[in-house]
Amino acid sequence: MIRLSTILWTLAVMVAGYAMFQVKYEVGLLEDRLTQLNHDIAASREETRVLDAEWSLLSDPQRLDRLNKTFLHLTPVATAQIGSLDQIPFRPGYSVQAPMLAKAGQ
Amino acid sequence: MNPRLNLARDNPCRPRHFRPGRAVDATLEGPAKEALEISHTRLLIAGMLFLLAFAVIGGRLIEVAGFKSGDLRAAHAHPAGPAVARADIVDRNGVLLATTLDTSSLFAVPKDVPDKQDAAAQLASVLPGTSADDIYAKLNSDKGFVWLARQISPRQEMAVIQLGIPGLEFQTEGKRVYPKGDLAAHVLGFAGLDNSGLAGIERSFDDSLKNGAAPVQLSIDVRLQYILQSELARQISDFQALGGTGIIMDVRTGEVLALASLPDFDPNDPGAAKPENLFNRATLGIYEVGSLFKIFSTAMALEDGVSTLSSRYDATKPLEVSGYTIHDDDPQNRWLTVPEIFMYSSNIGEARMAADGGTDRQRDFLGRLGLLSQPSFELPEVGSPLLPHPWRPINTMTIGFGHGISVSPLQVASAASAVVNGGILYPATILKRPDGNPAQGQRVLSEATSVDMRKLMRLVVEQGTGKLAGGSGYLIGGKTGTAEKVVDGGYAHHALISSFLGVFPINDPRYLVLALLDEPHIGTRDGGATGGLIAAPLVRRIVERMAPIVGIQPVDENSPEIRRSLMVGLPSPQGRKLASN
Repeated sequence: MIRLSTILWTLAVMVAGYAMFQVKYEVGLLEDRLTQLNHDIAASREETRVLDAEWSLLSDPQRLDRLNKTFLHLTPVATAQIGSLDQIPFRPGYSVQAPMLAKAGQ
Repeated sequence: MNPRLNLARDNPCRPRHFRPGRAVDATLEGPAKEALEISHTRLLIAGMLFLLAFAVIGGRLIEVAGFKSGDLRAAHAHPAGPAVARADIVDRNGVLLATTLDTSSLFAVPKDVPDKQDAAAQLASVLPGTSADDIYAKLNSDKGFVWLARQISPRQEMAVIQLGIPGLEFQTEGKRVYPKGDLAAHVLGFAGLDNSGLAGIERSFDDSLKNGAAPVQLSIDVRLQYILQSELARQISDFQALGGTGIIMDVRTGEVLALASLPDFDPNDPGAAKPENLFNRATLGIYEVGSLFKIFSTAMALEDGVSTLSSRYDATKPLEVSGYTIHDDDPQNRWLTVPEIFMYSSNIGEARMAADGGTDRQRDFLGRLGLLSQPSFELPEVGSPLLPHPWRPINTMTIGFGHGISVSPLQVASAASAVVNGGILYPATILKRPDGNPAQGQRVLSEATSVDMRKLMRLVVEQGTGKLAGGSGYLIGGKTGTAEKVVDGGYAHHALISSFLGVFPINDPRYLVLALLDEPHIGTRDGGATGGLIAAPLVRRIVERMAPIVGIQPVDENSPEIRRSLMVGLPSPQGRKLASN
């Protein structure tokens, strides 16, 4: 009797010990991974901030205006350049379906 | 072995109930007994030690499992919470206006730097703005720690690392960055090296920005801000003005879409700015805005029923009141109807209308429009109006045409928005109103008066002092203002404040554009730099550039329906004759 329970307990202790160490190692690995991920998140966030700032810097209207004056020579849209679709005559003999017309009217 | 024979039980040599006596009873004497006792004691001590160790482990187990678990879990739940960096400021479309970036600052531990002369020369070659001599002097100091360069760029940091000089270290610091430079600089303000807000939004929202929570979203639209700022700057340089200010406001919500004050500064380097450049003319500056005030005087007369659109006033000659003479800039020398007074900007007519209304009414009406008290606004730089003390009848008359009272351009924009938008005063705001959360307004005048005022403001552009704002196709209505600057208690004749307040489309007002220039000059005709000449075309250009962005379609200004909707009865030539007789 005594021997049987001793064997059982020993087995249980071994299993429990093994399981505990297994869990401990897994936790350790997960924690390493978590630390790494947190580090990556922080790095990505900082990178996003830098990229956002850079984009804002590059899309600065003053800069775009300067570049436009150097390379493109675009001018602001004049009132005369703005019209609505119904002001444009359709090609003779070209028929347009109703939905398109309705859209154009908006 | 015979299974039926159990030796332990069936040993015939052993009596059934015999028990051996205890072994220890066997008397041991001398060295043997001593050895046994020593081993006993040792066993006992070892056992106690093990017991103690187990007790400690058990206790720790209970502590960790039972009491510390909450802390541990909390530590794991938000480990990557954002480092407490100052929050961003964005415009109404989410465009970044201010952010905080990690930058490195370079410091040295002088005793660890082996070849100081060489190190200084190398560092000076990669860090612009430093000299080898300065760095050498710093490296030769007795201190354990010297700053060599604060907040350097990542590229410079890389270059320093590649030099591979021992004894150099980097410290990460948050630096406030304003990617749009001087755009909306007066709205944003700036923050100091220690990341505390010192002006503008940075100052008034310092606490919430410091908490690093959600970004602060402004009502400013960067595109409109640039249009306003660049056109204003162009006009200032074309007419050699000292400066200028402009506001674009949504008249339906009170949101400020653009706010410019020139000259301005770069918030990335506020230390380099002159004090006058830091001054916010739009909110902190107060001006006698002159004829712009006729918007409010005329609205008051119409609202209170003191005058109607067909009332006539005597403008045949300058008005003499208690030692003062009130002149017209463009004298018509006849009786004028209210629309004519407004379109020719007659000081005499407005003074008479204001006198008809009386001081109490005027004070009450201007007070309702928020022109007599410091407005509530989200920027810390907000000016209080300058009012006459005491408020005598002569003050009432001069205030009728905008003299003897100083208000900020922001107040004028808010009040004029209420006059044209149907009579609801919305408090001006620099923060974006959440969609579907309309501003809480307060009715300050009737719908009918507002409609009349729109017609009068259109008349100014069609036939009056503001003709240069017309013809854009966006139906601008407005009012010109030309005021002599108050210098040492008197008026300076050649120093003008020229302004124009435009609203478009005036048949269904959406946006207000106010532009004000400080001391513009026109070549030889120094006195002629009026609001109609300087500010009206500026507002027209701003409107033409911003309308496609805000989605306002141009219309045919001469189409019959539009003319009819904005028509004001002016006296016919015969009527004029009758009037002057």
